[in-house]
Amino acid sequence: MRGLLAVYEKELASYFRSPIAYYVVAVFLLGTGYFFLYNVFLAGETTMASTFQNMGILLTTLVPVISMRLFSAEFSAGTAELLLTLPLHPWQIVLGKYLGAVTILALMTAATMVDLIPLYLFGTPETTTILAGYIGFVLLGMACLAVGLFFSTLTHNQIIAALITAAVLLGFWFVGHLQGFQRSNALRGLVGYLSFSRHFVDFIQGLVRTEAVTFYLVVAAAALTLSTNYLKWRR
Amino acid sequence: MSPAAPIVELDSVSKRYGSRTVVHDLSFTVERGEIVGFLGPNGAGKTTTLRMIAGFTAATSGRVSVGGHDMATHNVEAAQLIGYLPERPPLYDTLDVSAYLRFVAKVKGIARVALAAELDRVIAACHLEAVARREIFKLSKGYRQRLGLAQALLGAPEVLLLDEPTAGLDPGQIQETREVIRAFGERHAVLFSTHILAEVTLICRRVAIIHHGRLLAIDSPRGLQRAVAETNRVSVLVTGPADDVRDELLGIKGVIAVETHAVGAQADLIAVECQVEARDGLEAEIARAVTRRWDLHRLERQQPTLENIFLRYVSAPPDAA
Repeated sequence: MRGLLAVYEKELASYFRSPIAYYVVAVFLLGTGYFFLYNVFLAGETTMASTFQNMGILLTTLVPVISMRLFSAEFSAGTAELLLTLPLHPWQIVLGKYLGAVTILALMTAATMVDLIPLYLFGTPETTTILAGYIGFVLLGMACLAVGLFFSTLTHNQIIAALITAAVLLGFWFVGHLQGFQRSNALRGLVGYLSFSRHFVDFIQGLVRTEAVTFYLVVAAAALTLSTNYLKWRR
Repeated sequence: MSPAAPIVELDSVSKRYGSRTVVHDLSFTVERGEIVGFLGPNGAGKTTTLRMIAGFTAATSGRVSVGGHDMATHNVEAAQLIGYLPERPPLYDTLDVSAYLRFVAKVKGIARVALAAELDRVIAACHLEAVARREIFKLSKGYRQRLGLAQALLGAPEVLLLDEPTAGLDPGQIQETREVIRAFGERHAVLFSTHILAEVTLICRRVAIIHHGRLLAIDSPRGLQRAVAETNRVSVLVTGPADDVRDELLGIKGVIAVETHAVGAQADLIAVECQVEARDGLEAEIARAVTRRWDLHRLERQQPTLENIFLRYVSAPPDAA
């Protein structure tokens, strides 16, 4: 446990001693702020629904920036040779790094709550719907980060890791649009089930469904397990 | 595991990357209180061997064990006993020196109460006091190398693996680093690779010569010198008849062969090359035999240097070595 905590602390320190965390949080808050202002003050919405939808897409494009360095940077800088020869199990390394990235996600998420102030001042939003939206957003982010972490274990090149992650995450985000092209019910169901956005919509509508929660957690767990096993295999 | 048992054991270890075999059937042991130098040209398999012992990469066949733990199955337990400095110091540029060492110390399981003292110990041992608060990306190459060594020393591991620890250091820093290794090796096992032949003669109890992934020899520097008998030569410059000098010298026990040739235009001045057995005092006997009858101008014992031995091994065809 102490090793995992040490990796987690080192990861957080690395984020905040480099411009990455500040850049990601700043871009995310600027984007979210813009969408919020547009949706509430220009489009006249009194809910966070559209803003959450925009936050989801923004997240899938920013996650690769957070996740790309997780292992790629270790391989390219040669520090993987230290990390993988210290008395640490691969799962401790993977989980420590993952939790560091999730902490950045949590900070990003918490910072967007400033948008709720005018919403509550000038309207009467449904707190449970907003809460469900935030739960969905964090779960979506956790799944995306795990996928990004996995691709980061596969390459020494951070840019390649980011590009592959972005392509895969956008694919998962938009894959639901292919439902209309499927004749087979099974395929239509599968394509819909794999869609990150379809499950996220449930949360935005205030539904915290076990199926959606399980989906994101299974994606995260599968990606983390793959990463751990890949690290073991590459020895 | 008894204290006398080897702390590092390699038993018929091979490593293949696809169809390329970089380490062939390597077997040797390292004991506590022993410094073993790993010599070999670039691409000989030194780094791969150290990586297998450190647990960074697994052997394709054979068995690597550290402290009795098989690296294939119990590498995390074995890692508790190992301090490892890779060829390229594994440093996090975004951290400062203290934060980096604290991270490694925590992972190595050094107790919170002992953390500060342990950090001070390695910082002092590696002369990092002046940069303890400096960010790593601002460090010079020498300091980076010493910081890499410092992290390896954290927790006083049973086994220290160093891949070219003095690379990039100035002569003063090299001397200091050798002292650190020598002192550490008095009670722990140290295995280090280097290109500097003098380094192994200075601090190693044993030297392993590796080439094309094969272990060609492992012995003490003195033992290696003895083993390479044909490079034990005595050169003599003497005024005297060549045939008589040759006969006289061949009569000395330990002189195997004698060659003579005239030097310049001076009559009777000859250079004599004697191939001799590797035993001390032989050159004195040759000097006495020559001076009894002729004028001796120069006598030189050409003992095999480690350079000679190394070159002999690595330049020989694989079957001959």
